[in-house]
Amino acid sequence: MANPSTSDTYTIDVPKGLVLDRTASLELYYFMALNRKLEERLSSLYRQNKVVGGLYSSLGQEACSVGSAYALERGDFFAPMIRNLGGLLVRGVDPVLVIGQYCAREIGPTRGKDLNVHFGWIDRGIVSPISMLASLVPVFSGIALEMKMHNKKNVAMTYVGDGATSTTDFHEGMNFAAVQKVPMIVIVENNGYAYSTPVDRQFNVKDFVVRAKGYGCYGEMVDGNNVLAVLDVIRRARARCVAGDGPVLIEAKTFRRKGHAEHDDAGYVPAALRAEWEKKDPLDAYRRFLSAHRVIASDQELAEIDAKIVEILDAAVDTALASPFPDPSTLMENVYG
Amino acid sequence: MAEQPMMSAGRKRLANVPDTEAKLKMLHYMKLVREIEDRIERKLYRQGRIVGGVYVGRGQEAISVGTAIHMQKDDVVAPSHRDMGVFLMRGITPQRIIAQYMGRRTGLTRGRDGNMHMGDMDYNVIAFVSHLGDNVPVAAGAALVFKQRGEKRVALCYNGEGATSRGDWHEGINFASIHRLPVVYFVNNNAYAYSTPLSVQMAIEDVAIRAEGYGIPGEVVDGNDVLAVYDAAKRAIDLARSGGGPSLVEFKTFRMTGHSAHDDAGYVPPELFEEWKKKDPILRLEETLISESVLTSAKRDQMQKECEKIIDDAVDWAEQQPFPAPEEVTRDVYYEG
Repeated sequence: MANPSTSDTYTIDVPKGLVLDRTASLELYYFMALNRKLEERLSSLYRQNKVVGGLYSSLGQEACSVGSAYALERGDFFAPMIRNLGGLLVRGVDPVLVIGQYCAREIGPTRGKDLNVHFGWIDRGIVSPISMLASLVPVFSGIALEMKMHNKKNVAMTYVGDGATSTTDFHEGMNFAAVQKVPMIVIVENNGYAYSTPVDRQFNVKDFVVRAKGYGCYGEMVDGNNVLAVLDVIRRARARCVAGDGPVLIEAKTFRRKGHAEHDDAGYVPAALRAEWEKKDPLDAYRRFLSAHRVIASDQELAEIDAKIVEILDAAVDTALASPFPDPSTLMENVYG
Repeated sequence: MAEQPMMSAGRKRLANVPDTEAKLKMLHYMKLVREIEDRIERKLYRQGRIVGGVYVGRGQEAISVGTAIHMQKDDVVAPSHRDMGVFLMRGITPQRIIAQYMGRRTGLTRGRDGNMHMGDMDYNVIAFVSHLGDNVPVAAGAALVFKQRGEKRVALCYNGEGATSRGDWHEGINFASIHRLPVVYFVNNNAYAYSTPLSVQMAIEDVAIRAEGYGIPGEVVDGNDVLAVYDAAKRAIDLARSGGGPSLVEFKTFRMTGHSAHDDAGYVPPELFEEWKKKDPILRLEETLISESVLTSAKRDQMQKECEKIIDDAVDWAEQQPFPAPEEVTRDVYYEG
């Protein structure tokens, strides 16, 4: 590797008991790299005024989205929040759809009616995010209740940020899920800031996961920048849920490396904090892992994956932008189901 | 002989022990609460002299009395519907309370609202908000004012265990904990929220466990032992007053009645009533005081007669009061200063 590890280099390891073959290991890399490069591309489109509305980045949080979604199985339900683009990619959403959606084109899943990641795909177990943060928690407790009532061996998994935990819906949904012992996984992505509110103004505890006790459900904390740890913790959470042990609350420690959205320079975030988390970049750490554990023979293998991603994204941008804006005559279509 | 246990057998030594005067005061108010509620629920309501529903705190008298006794003049209280002792201890007269229940013009809401839906800011009693748990953020707001002004005042807030499942409860306690506000949250865990038993309300046995998740002290107290209530409330209120932030105090008790006067509580196993009847808080205090030679049976009977006389007079007075005039109907809809 170009940068040999030093003692203060952030390194990740395989959690005990996690079994992962080479194909899966490289797929994790592919999705994280695709997540990052797709967002970089969207950022360029935003500056070209091609994106309609806001643009939300998950820079630095890709491991959390990708690792968690990768742990799901067929029939599971999932709903991303605004920084879980990676999860959508893992669940099979084509980048063309994402770009089409952000640019409000007809090819986008909502056909230009809604923006960014506000779309669902029920056939694939993807529920559309709800703008009111944490409102997905009671929704997912309901989906999980259905799974329990029909003895399905599936789980319903969704995400909230540290900020959304302060809302009504988070509390009511978690409590209901715990009482009913439903197979729900809620991942609290503690990324340090809720818009401009630092986490110490959001809750009065160091580790949010202690709240699991107050609901009487299982909770665990995970390094959200370690894709393997995230994958492992969600696989285990999934096994608990499927075994009927009730919901699981996961706190993933990570950091939002950009502003709340593209318009926000996040001047309120201390530079030292940003620098510290830059060193913990999940993609860089995973590259070092793949090399150190000889999953890849040389960096050339990753360069090939990167090149393939560039190719996919070039084509995706062309296809998406070739799609027209919705025709005004379609305005009333798809307003109701 | 070793030190005589201060209280009845099995009770741990308490840090704060009321003096004789305070003990007798608490006994008086507990009896007065029982008497006014018995009169309202078992007599006036059945005679059709009450307007609307009736909610009583039979069996829970020790909680409102043992906590409110610590209030200073400028403190503020946000009671719930089984905390009659709060109103009486704050100095609101039985006359006005019965007039309120009878829908009379001299009731606290001037005949506009019924039963416990009353407050009086002249006595720093915030009117009970029907939406259970809504008084939690309200009390936090009052406490925020005290903190911002540097006043040594505290806010007390009461709820049942059912209300703790509500989002407002969560949002209010979270806010109070972040800002270390001078507020104490009391939970009357009386085992049933209307017909919902505790086991279907939450997946934990003690609500107080939740305190840890907010980074505040939490305590479980025997809510039918007024001396234990007195002790725990004093510690929590002193902590809040000295800048130590909020606490959560859970009182274990039992609702010795239906949800309201119309509800026969047929869903509650009769043996639970039998079990809790033995723990009646008034009888327990009387026994303790007799064993301490603070009280004689003659004095006890005299106190009872006094309470009956107070309520007799209050009922007579209230019945002489006029109903509000129809032309007043738009008054008091908005605050008029």
